[in-house]
Amino acid sequence: MASALTSTINKYMEIVGDQVVFTGQFARNIFRDGFEWGEFLRQCFIVGYRSIGLVAITGFIIGFVLTLQTQPTLKDFGAESYVPGMVSISIIREIGPVIIALICAGKIASSIGAELGSMKVTEQIDAMEVSSANPVQYLVVTRILACTLMVPLLTIMADALALLGGWVGVNIQDHVSATLFFRKSFAALEFSDVVPSVVKTFFFGYAIGFVGCYKGYHSSRGTESVGRAANSAVVSASLWIILIDAIAVQITNLIYY
Amino acid sequence: MDDTVAQEKTMQTAAADDVVIHIEHLKKSFGDNEVLKDISLDLHKGENIVVLGRSGQGKSVTIQCVAGLLEPDEGNLTVLGKEVKELSEEELKDLRSKLGFLFQSGALYDSMTVRENLSFPLTRVLKMKDEAEMEKRVKDALESVGLEEAIDKYPSDLSGGMRKRVGLARTLILRPEIILYDEPTTGLDPITSREISELIVQLQEKYDTSSIIITHDMACARIVADRIAVMNDGKFIATGTYDELAKSPDELINNFFK
Repeated sequence: MASALTSTINKYMEIVGDQVVFTGQFARNIFRDGFEWGEFLRQCFIVGYRSIGLVAITGFIIGFVLTLQTQPTLKDFGAESYVPGMVSISIIREIGPVIIALICAGKIASSIGAELGSMKVTEQIDAMEVSSANPVQYLVVTRILACTLMVPLLTIMADALALLGGWVGVNIQDHVSATLFFRKSFAALEFSDVVPSVVKTFFFGYAIGFVGCYKGYHSSRGTESVGRAANSAVVSASLWIILIDAIAVQITNLIYY
Repeated sequence: MDDTVAQEKTMQTAAADDVVIHIEHLKKSFGDNEVLKDISLDLHKGENIVVLGRSGQGKSVTIQCVAGLLEPDEGNLTVLGKEVKELSEEELKDLRSKLGFLFQSGALYDSMTVRENLSFPLTRVLKMKDEAEMEKRVKDALESVGLEEAIDKYPSDLSGGMRKRVGLARTLILRPEIILYDEPTTGLDPITSREISELIVQLQEKYDTSSIIITHDMACARIVADRIAVMNDGKFIATGTYDELAKSPDELINNFFK
């Protein structure tokens, strides 16, 4: 029993150690021997542009559904005028960043995990290494940085579309002009609502890229490990997003309230 | 008498100078699994050594140690006069630029065309920027393996034999002094297998490379080997030419030549 516990602890400590080393490799290779601009832009295209459709639909529907769910309750209290403010605060502060990050974890972390996992299995990463090219700089740095940059941009777009969805939702039962809805939405927002939520999306993006790359890069040999890498990338990235969110809320509260 | 001793010493020194890979009492384990138990081997300049052995005997592990992909637990490993375990990251990178490695699957980068696959080491290792020079090197390398027409294709559009040829072209593009082949003919039909084996010999003569070739394919071994080393249970149990080993009374060795 004790030895099983010790071996489990050792295993997890090894994983933590590996992740620390991987972080170090990532940091050391960012600007080593120049920067892989071509691959970085290609990854931005894959991570950012190719996720626009999914993220846009998700964002719009979040705002739309949130409005439809809350409007009747607020109406009962005669507080219908608070709908735009409530929607904007909940979307911008919490729901937008977290839901979009989870969607991106499912789409991006799994695809990075599977891609690098299959490159590992087919010895493409070894081939880069033995030909003196730098696989960490070419494969890992570009993907992590692309995710770190693209996830916040996708979240901002999704937040905007969620507000639009909210306005459409309000107009199903009532008639509220776009000017009034958006003015009330933005009036409810403060600096402390917008900045921390944008800042945390950079960390979400980093976590998605890092976990995807780590799981793919360290997958074992064999085709089965590719599926496992993709799957565990999604699970771990989602867990990291929730943990980062919990920490971000605490830090925001400490700073602003 | 003194003259004879001096002459022998000179010959030994010349032979030692000629050694491009020196493996001495190398050991490597993965957990409790001792894969390389004690191996020693010298590869001389311009020589092709074939390493024969059943699957799981440590053949691939040996060349992965030579390429610095795996770190041996014990023993000495010198490549081009440099002790691999003592090299810094930069020195290892420099050494690898003189080593070519042909992987079993070809290990072509799926997301790149053949042209990009071949240009990749040129831009990353040689820091080449001249497009015209790069194009010439890529076309020359593809011409060496007879695949000029595949330049704009993706690896998924190529057959197994073509992938191996492109992999070989990518290995050759940096003009390495040593090439390590990991089962170059596995999974190919006998005709393509023979073509690849003959290509290995032609390229070795053209570029004056030294090679370690891991294979189970005796037809390939017969064509490419100057010397054959037979590996069993993590050790080399015999070395010699194809004809010498073919006459070996040892049943295990003899089984390969039946």
